[in-house]
Amino acid sequence: MIKRGKGMACMWYPIGFTVAANASAATVKVNTDGTATVLTGTVETGQGALTVLGQIAAQTLGIATDDVHVVSADTDSTPMDTGAIASRTTYVTGNAIVLAAEKAREILFEAAAPLLNVRPEQLEAVDKKIRVLSFPDRFLPIDKVVAHAENTLGKPSIGSASYNPPTVEMDPETGQGKPFNAYVYATQIADVEVDDETGEVEVKKITAVHDCGTPINPMLVEGQIQGGISMGVGFALQEEILFKDGTQINPNLTNYIMPTSLDMPELEVELVDNYDPTGPFGAKGAGEPTAVPTAAAIMNAIYDAVGVRITNLPATAEKVLAAIQEKNKAVA
Amino acid sequence: MVTRNKDLQKTTESLLKKKDSQAPSKKPVSVPGDNPVIYPLDLPESDARLQTPAVGARATRPDGRLHGLGQTKYIDDMSFPHMIHAKILRSEYAHAKIISIDTSAAEAIPGVLATLVGDEIPVNTFGPTFQDQPVLADTIVRHKGDGVAAVAAVNEQIAADALEKIKVVYEPLEAVFDPQEALKDSAPKIHGDKTNIYTSKIIKKGDVEKGLAESDHIFQRQYSTQMVEHVPIEPHASIALWDGNGRVSVWSSLGRITLGREDLSRTLSLPQSKIRLIGTIVGGNFGGKNEITNEPILALLSKKTGRPVKCVFTRGDEFISSTIRHPFVMDYTTGVNNDGKIIARKIKLILDGGAYCSWTGTTIGKGSILAAGPYNIDNLFVESYAVYTNKTTTGAMRGFGAPQVCFAYESQMDEIAEKLGIDPLELRLKNAFTEGSASPTSQQLQSVVLKESLKQASDRFGWKEWKK
Repeated sequence: MIKRGKGMACMWYPIGFTVAANASAATVKVNTDGTATVLTGTVETGQGALTVLGQIAAQTLGIATDDVHVVSADTDSTPMDTGAIASRTTYVTGNAIVLAAEKAREILFEAAAPLLNVRPEQLEAVDKKIRVLSFPDRFLPIDKVVAHAENTLGKPSIGSASYNPPTVEMDPETGQGKPFNAYVYATQIADVEVDDETGEVEVKKITAVHDCGTPINPMLVEGQIQGGISMGVGFALQEEILFKDGTQINPNLTNYIMPTSLDMPELEVELVDNYDPTGPFGAKGAGEPTAVPTAAAIMNAIYDAVGVRITNLPATAEKVLAAIQEKNKAVA
Repeated sequence: MVTRNKDLQKTTESLLKKKDSQAPSKKPVSVPGDNPVIYPLDLPESDARLQTPAVGARATRPDGRLHGLGQTKYIDDMSFPHMIHAKILRSEYAHAKIISIDTSAAEAIPGVLATLVGDEIPVNTFGPTFQDQPVLADTIVRHKGDGVAAVAAVNEQIAADALEKIKVVYEPLEAVFDPQEALKDSAPKIHGDKTNIYTSKIIKKGDVEKGLAESDHIFQRQYSTQMVEHVPIEPHASIALWDGNGRVSVWSSLGRITLGREDLSRTLSLPQSKIRLIGTIVGGNFGGKNEITNEPILALLSKKTGRPVKCVFTRGDEFISSTIRHPFVMDYTTGVNNDGKIIARKIKLILDGGAYCSWTGTTIGKGSILAAGPYNIDNLFVESYAVYTNKTTTGAMRGFGAPQVCFAYESQMDEIAEKLGIDPLELRLKNAFTEGSASPTSQQLQSVVLKESLKQASDRFGWKEWKK
């Protein structure tokens, strides 16, 4: 018989390295037509990081995402970066890019201030304009300002900066300290069906509500969550490297079973409104935490459906069936 | 899991129906060469990419179109004139001394241009935390994924055939595969001769024994998790070119090039200024591509042959020689009052650390700090140990120990909720971190929206109304 169950799991997860320095540096160059180039040593690993970093540079300069080209991942031309690890790219590299873009922007403010008859600190960069604060009718187009700064004043608009999250060493005896500068939070809820005659578990739906601070690009955050859930479903139900005397016996995609798109449940993905003052425009991160609570939620849903608690992952059909049979024996 | 054939059929049908209406408005353009451009070159941009402000926009990716069309160049698609291919011979044993390696028969095969063994590598150790791992094992193999020799040949098939001609004489050593066995004094030692525990962590807050003694209920359970692979669609891949100016360029699927160059500089004994490391477009990382693997080997084979050398891991290499997720054995003891308030939690984590350290330091750190869950608990004790075993190296993987401990702490939350007759949502809300809560390391937390996520998810799911 097919039995249904629901189960929830929440989690917390840190952004960046545990105490250890994990700096990022960045260079931002504004071109004379108002477009810009960002140099970063991070690597695009498929998550869309370069899009997000471009958006962060664009926001700081008051231009559009498409106006920014991001050059990455070449030790001959890009500055140091700790890399695409520890859910740190948006937060750490993003903060470095904000600081670098602010330096490039400052050159534009200084060039535009005399032309607009104000002080540099009275200016803002929005809508492709260098504009007087609280006086939106007085502005210069950003491209004109860049060209003036570079070609007339001889001051190209370039900025470089770095960022490293502040932490406090952990006490070796008690572990007390401040290992990270930011954490994110999330809840996932699973709706499952368990066949109590075969032990087979089908995840029908997962509702996932995640915090990433400000979502720089909500679409890419949703993509991360969807991908993380698929990894969580595999961890919960299918994936396992099996050994015999130190030899992996299933090192191939025939016998190492992982979820395909057809195994994916219906997904409801939402973000929690939040703003972290230490992140770029309030952003924290979204990469790893998306895969964290899925298995726990599914196990709790299996228990709700058939009353067996799986304490050893993955919950394969064989394992779930054995637990159901043991429970039935105990009842009888 | 059930394959939803009906859904697939429906999707296919709807795609076929749409085919005509979705045809490109302009004639496809082709350019000469092996990479015809099959789409209109004047690209329409999404409004989200053109808008200001940029933050918050659902901007499409600049690389998305090429991915969608299968036009992205991964390392496997890249080629250089006179490029040759490398393969790596893996250990026959999980734990053994290497007595001798004879590559002469492999070198005699037509098409084989060079071989490489560990003692030819200037500094034959690496590792992101401490350097306990050989690039190619030269004295001891500690798991079956250890490389012992490499071959460079004009094509992959000849390189693979040549591996079979390499004669390695081993003296097998006693091996240990279970982390709890590896903890025993009698267990064979994998590194050094003292203990297999190579890193540990303690988190201590309040008085856990007193807290447990004063709690109305005690919950105790052991949870454990398995080894899993990252399974990126693109396996580890690199190309190295040692040029006539004495500079080496490496194209790699590595996710962290700054530290990758440091590792290359160290292993090759070459100044960083003479190394160019280029991170290519990566077909999935998930933590598995955060340290060097074959890069120093390819660089040295290129130096020997004067040719660009490429190596793309097979799926088998990817499973057995790259890092995987740490299995955890987790003992949880939790003291709770009748009203559901958690008073004390005591946790012991044993991490199967595999043959080498890799990113275990980070995994045990995050795993321990996060182990108690996002809950206000005044009395806490977490002790964690990572143990060497003669198995695949466990390293960084999406979540660094967090999915393992979350499975334990959230399973136990539901056990507590059931026993006390409290709704799982309410039990979590009762104990959840809020703005300013002190973490297990007594850090004051900010921008905490755990309760908001619990309520929003429950509302969206329909937690209270949901019926079986």
